[in-house]
Amino acid sequence: MKLQLKLSHKGIILVTVPLVFATVFLLILTLLLNQAEKEIQAQIRAKALVTEAGELQKSFYDAGVAMAGYSITKSPLFADRFDNILKQIPKILDSLNSLVGDNPKQQQILAELKSIANSALKILSEAKTALATDEIDIAQMKSRNVYQQARALTDKLKVTINDLTADEEQLVNKKNSPIDSKLQVKIFLAIGFLINIIIAVLLALFFSKGIGKRIEILTDNSIRLARGQELNALVSGNDEIAQLDKVFHAMAVNLQEAMEKERAIVENAADVICSINSEGKFSAISPACKELWGYSPDELLGRKFVDLVCNDDLPETIKSARQVRQSKVTTAFENRTLKKDGSLVTVLWSAYWSERERSMFCVAHDITQRKLAEEAIKASEERIRTIIENMMVGLLIITPSGIIEAVNPSSERIFGVTAKELVGKHILALFSESRFMDYSKDYDRNQFLETFFTKSLNRVGEFDAIKLIGNDEDFPVEISLTEFNVGGSLKFMANILDVSERKELEKMKKEFVATVSHELRTPLTSIRGSLTLLSVGALGVLPEGVKKVVSIAERNTIRLIGLINDILDIEKLEAGKLDMVMDDLALSNVIERSQESVKSFAEQHGVNLIMAQTDIKVHADGDRLVQVLVNLLSNACKFSPKGGNVRVDVIDIPNWVEVRVIDQGRGIPEKFKNLLFQKFQQVEASDSRKKGGTGLGLVICKGIIEQHGGIIGVDSVEGQGSTFYFRIPKIKEPTEINKVILKQA
Amino acid sequence: MKVLIIDDEEDTRSIASMSLSLLGGIDVIEADSGAEGIKKASSENPDVVLLDMMMPVMDGAQTLNQLLTNEQTKHIPVIFLTAKAMSTEIDRLKRLGAKGVVTKPFDPTMLASQVQAILES
Repeated sequence: MKLQLKLSHKGIILVTVPLVFATVFLLILTLLLNQAEKEIQAQIRAKALVTEAGELQKSFYDAGVAMAGYSITKSPLFADRFDNILKQIPKILDSLNSLVGDNPKQQQILAELKSIANSALKILSEAKTALATDEIDIAQMKSRNVYQQARALTDKLKVTINDLTADEEQLVNKKNSPIDSKLQVKIFLAIGFLINIIIAVLLALFFSKGIGKRIEILTDNSIRLARGQELNALVSGNDEIAQLDKVFHAMAVNLQEAMEKERAIVENAADVICSINSEGKFSAISPACKELWGYSPDELLGRKFVDLVCNDDLPETIKSARQVRQSKVTTAFENRTLKKDGSLVTVLWSAYWSERERSMFCVAHDITQRKLAEEAIKASEERIRTIIENMMVGLLIITPSGIIEAVNPSSERIFGVTAKELVGKHILALFSESRFMDYSKDYDRNQFLETFFTKSLNRVGEFDAIKLIGNDEDFPVEISLTEFNVGGSLKFMANILDVSERKELEKMKKEFVATVSHELRTPLTSIRGSLTLLSVGALGVLPEGVKKVVSIAERNTIRLIGLINDILDIEKLEAGKLDMVMDDLALSNVIERSQESVKSFAEQHGVNLIMAQTDIKVHADGDRLVQVLVNLLSNACKFSPKGGNVRVDVIDIPNWVEVRVIDQGRGIPEKFKNLLFQKFQQVEASDSRKKGGTGLGLVICKGIIEQHGGIIGVDSVEGQGSTFYFRIPKIKEPTEINKVILKQA
Repeated sequence: MKVLIIDDEEDTRSIASMSLSLLGGIDVIEADSGAEGIKKASSENPDVVLLDMMMPVMDGAQTLNQLLTNEQTKHIPVIFLTAKAMSTEIDRLKRLGAKGVVTKPFDPTMLASQVQAILES
């Protein structure tokens, strides 16, 4: 099994193995040195021991000599010398004792030595005493004796000392000599050093093979990673290097994926992604530039960015680019750029300057459409604002609870106060009702709002407003409310028109119409009356010539009266004030009355009237409808040939009823059909003289029918007669179910 | 039948008078103002009064009011003879107490029969 070691473990081995070896080596070396030291000490001691033993032997010899001298000379010099030696001997013995130490054999010899020495000392002492006190002869005899003994003893001592030194030498010889030990240490040192070097080299080789090689691969991989090249195969092992290499491989995979994603994003982005170098040239650009400017990336690479910019926007663009370089964050600016085809495209640039790359990284987004839309909205807003601010009509935006939220300048003018004063007020405050109603009270407020909404929501309601400044005078206004939604909340827009002037004009006009009507009709009444009285012979029979001119005068007076009536009707129609009294009525009644009215006229023209029968009911002003039908019938009679027929048909169509007046007259040329219902239009200019009529009749008919919610028109083929028709809503006959409901109600 | 015509316009008065008398065979009394009309209505006791609306000093409405409040004249039917032909105006005059309305300019040949018809309605 292969040993899988971590790099840290290997490091420890690399350091520890030589260290342990060096430690062991040092320990052994220390022991060897100690040993050598001990041997040197032993040799010194052996020398001392031999010296001391020799000293002891010599002392005894000297003592014998001193005593012999003394016995011969009796000189105190010998005596003193003898005494000194005797005192010296125990010291030597002590010294020997300390040198012997714990060697049992030597201790034994030393003990024997001591005992001999002590005996010798005793004999010597006795000999000296004998010498001092005894007779010379005796003393000599004794001293000889003593000497004999002492000699024997010293011989013995000599033997013993020899034993001791021999033993010591033997001991010393047993051990290595110091010279041997030194050699031994030198050899040991050399071997240890050699082994240590070998171990270190082996370990270094091991590591260089296992680590160095792999680190080399790792370094190469890191370079390849940086360059985006493919990496070497994974390095073997399970240590930090192998793990690091695995990380490198994982990083390479991630980096590759990230780069692919980034490339995909850049290449597929709808916006142009590009980099512009410090010379202002495109150094990289995404394919979207083809779509945006019509140029392929190859056409733009190396080209100056400002070449694309529209001349008018160039100074501003250069300024923006400078700002981008100075700014540390992404900066946006807009400009108009030129497409390959010469058209303009407005671009929003998001740019960032990288000092390291010395390049500007940009995203260019086409905002042409947005710009156009914005400009259109702006223009539209401007138009609407201009309209709103300049319109004569006052506009108020109010909440469903009646609070004013916004006003236009006309509202300020109408109510005589500023917008500030109007906004926030309750709508009730603007009307004369506020004199007796209190808008701080819920009841009053709701009461007013109900009236207000009922009268003006989606219709025009008339109110008396009050000036909020000065004398609080009343003035008439017309208000129309429209509801709308702003961000999900319901609002109302009130259009307020100050109708003071119009009301005043209307009043004046009414008075004028009444005056004209009276002032014209009064003399006409007299003229017509006079002429009629003449023509009918009430004042006597007239000669034929007179009768003729009176008849002409009467006919023209009647025509003049008709003209005045028509003009008054037109006036009322245009003012929307044509009086209508609507009622449910039978259409047959209208037809009968009309027939009655034109009967004599038809007879005058020799025309036959053929009237339809009907039971249809309509909701209409009977008199006005008769006016229309009489007008159409009169026209038909006027333009029909003598002996011709004028027919009235009634056509029932769903929800409507159509009344047709059909004549056999000359018909109407196509180009006149549309003019017929306009003021003062007749097919032939001479018609008004030949046929009478004002050219206003059909205009009035149109107005009346339209006020009934109907239509009027003509079908005609020139030379084949005309069909004038009008169509008005009919009253729906209740269905069977509705009849039951009505009955129950 | 006796008709009192009250109108400040002499011509109108004459035409109406002649239309009624010559063509309808009706007796006619004329008055040129409201005040005189009231006086004549009291003294002559006509069967019907034809009253103009727009007159100076005392207009038709005021004259009608006086005629209707006068014990001696309140029974006499009053027909307005007026140029104000609007239907709303006709309604208003009827509400004031008029029996009917004949609009000017009138057809002289039809005046007598129109008055007759209103009185009979």
